Amino acid sequence: MDYRAKVGLRFITRRKGSLIAASLAVSIAILVVQVNSVIFQGLYNAIIRDQINYRFGHVYITRNENFITKSDKMLVNWLERIPYVEAAAPRLESTASINATGSGQTVRDYDVPVIGVDPVLDTQASTMYTTVGNGQYVSSRNSIVLGALVARDLGNPHVGDSIKLKFKDRNGLDQLKRFTIVGITQTAGSVGLDNSVIMNIDTLREILGRPHETQSIMVRLNDPTKDQVVKDLFLNAFPTRSDNFKAQTIEESAEQTLSGFRSGIALINLVGYFGMMSSAFAVVTIQMMQVTSKTREIGIMRAIGSKRKDILMIFIFQGMVIGAIGAGLGTVFGVSYTVYAKETHLTFQGSLALEVSYNWLGILQTDILAFVLAIVASIYPAYKATKLQPVEAMRFG
Amino acid sequence: MADLVLEVRNVDKIFGEGETAVYALKNVSFSVKKGKFILIVGSSGSGKSTLLNMIGLLDRPTNGQVFIDGIDPSNLNDNQISSFRNSKLGFIFQFSNLLSDLTVLENVLLPRQIQGTDTNAIEEAKSLLKTVGLENQMNKYANKVSGGQAQRVAICRALINKPAIVLADEPTGNLDSVSAQTTVQLMKSLNKKLGHTFIIVTHDRPQFGDVDKIITIKDGRIVDDEMMEVPTVN
Ligand SMILES: Nc1ncnc2c1ncn2[C@@H]1O[C@H](COP(=O)(O)OP(=O)(O)OP(=O)(O)O)[C@@H](O)[C@H]1O
Ligand SMILES: [Mg+2]
Repeated sequence: MDYRAKVGLRFITRRKGSLIAASLAVSIAILVVQVNSVIFQGLYNAIIRDQINYRFGHVYITRNENFITKSDKMLVNWLERIPYVEAAAPRLESTASINATGSGQTVRDYDVPVIGVDPVLDTQASTMYTTVGNGQYVSSRNSIVLGALVARDLGNPHVGDSIKLKFKDRNGLDQLKRFTIVGITQTAGSVGLDNSVIMNIDTLREILGRPHETQSIMVRLNDPTKDQVVKDLFLNAFPTRSDNFKAQTIEESAEQTLSGFRSGIALINLVGYFGMMSSAFAVVTIQMMQVTSKTREIGIMRAIGSKRKDILMIFIFQGMVIGAIGAGLGTVFGVSYTVYAKETHLTFQGSLALEVSYNWLGILQTDILAFVLAIVASIYPAYKATKLQPVEAMRFG
Repeated sequence: MADLVLEVRNVDKIFGEGETAVYALKNVSFSVKKGKFILIVGSSGSGKSTLLNMIGLLDRPTNGQVFIDGIDPSNLNDNQISSFRNSKLGFIFQFSNLLSDLTVLENVLLPRQIQGTDTNAIEEAKSLLKTVGLENQMNKYANKVSGGQAQRVAICRALINKPAIVLADEPTGNLDSVSAQTTVQLMKSLNKKLGHTFIIVTHDRPQFGDVDKIITIKDGRIVDDEMMEVPTVN
């Protein structure tokens, strides 16, 4: 081994306290960045996951400023012939005011979003049906599922109770219809349809006087990476020019929800990088102490022939050792936390469960950054060491 | 002239400036022949260490020149001076001579590794350590050997690059009298055996017995440049 590497390694490894302190500073900074990333990237992914599962699918098809008038059966069949497509389901949205008769008396009038779903297709393209903790999903023509928030505002009616909804049809006329509550849907963080009611799409079409119309088709893929491909296939087959269709990948359809979150993540990452800067200052301090305590050794080495740059390299090498051990420890800490978060489906105060993924590239980038910072932080102390004159360094025994 | 290993010509060393200037050396001149064993003596503060630092190229004279092996290193840059020190000079200091984070053997090898010529280095280092009786201590860390042993290690380190001159500043100053005697005898016998020039600063002139030359310094000047005849043994 090169003598500079050997001396540097001995200097730092035989001062356990300095080595541990400096590498811990580095590794803790990495841990902070990693924890931030697990939590916020995890939340971000969780939002995307839930938006896919409950609202948009991987590809979301609508028609610009209008309802889809082409047959939903035809469109779904067409989509399901694409190998990447697992299922597709039509939905129709409207609003209604609820005239609830919980426990035999009217509670109050209440405006809610109404989602019409296909009882069979929707359970294939969406996991909305799994969020019905109490009762079952929409089935028969007069069944209705209440969002948990709606149910709460209505005074928590029971499954089996009936409920009256008042709609405005396409001609502006009031349509009143009675439904039987078959279930209550509730999602963590209320990111699902907790503020809506869900009913049979054909019932809703009939009430609105739009017998063959559809608002949107959510498409679920078996390979989410192919969303752009599926989108393009669809738009080629049904060009916007003639049909005025709009197809969006999840990034596009959920953009509104996600854009604010993304700037939040950027800010949090900034906090992590400030943590890294302070760990770099810790390395500077510890390396300065290291240089001071090795003054005499440096003098001896200079006297017996070491050049300035050799002394520089000794302390830079120490920085590399600190950076490497810090990055190693940081990775262990960070990955442990990631595993913990993933395996325990970490949630915060009943909010949605984080969708934790192993971001090896991100970890690698953080490690490299921490390693480089430890070296950069060693430059000044190392430079100071080279400025020691051999006579000065040796004067005090 | 060819056998002069050191020539000091009209060297002044002034520390500081103006009112506070200290003349540590004044017009010092002398020369040393190859293979000699020389002492520099004088009272505390007389300028002995300063002179040794000039010879060791650890510091530059204010005026005058120092020739080592016929070369005037004053125009060399810092890197060249480092290499020059590494190959031409060996150093033994009063205390904490060694790198405590390296073993005895590694300390001895260091000048060779700095030089970058490792061939046979381990064998040569081991044989030097054997000469000073430390073959069993080679793998101890340097801070785990006694003061006397440490000075013997320092002697080996000073010799590993076969320097023109070995410089020692109070090499026995920190040792008990027995260890000091051992160290002195070792230096003298190595001087005889290997032919390196030794220049030694000491307070304790009698400890060294017969030497080739004694340079006495007082207030930065050489007051006595005494040649001694080496007693010849029949
Ligand atoms: N770096 C320096 N700055 C200022 N003055 C110095 C410096 N080094 C030495 N001196 C002065 O130069 C003079 C000679 O010092 P030097 O260390 O050479 O003495 P010495 O003979 O080795 O003494 P001792 O036997 O105590 O080691 C002293 O007056 C000392 O104070
Ligand atoms: Mg001195």
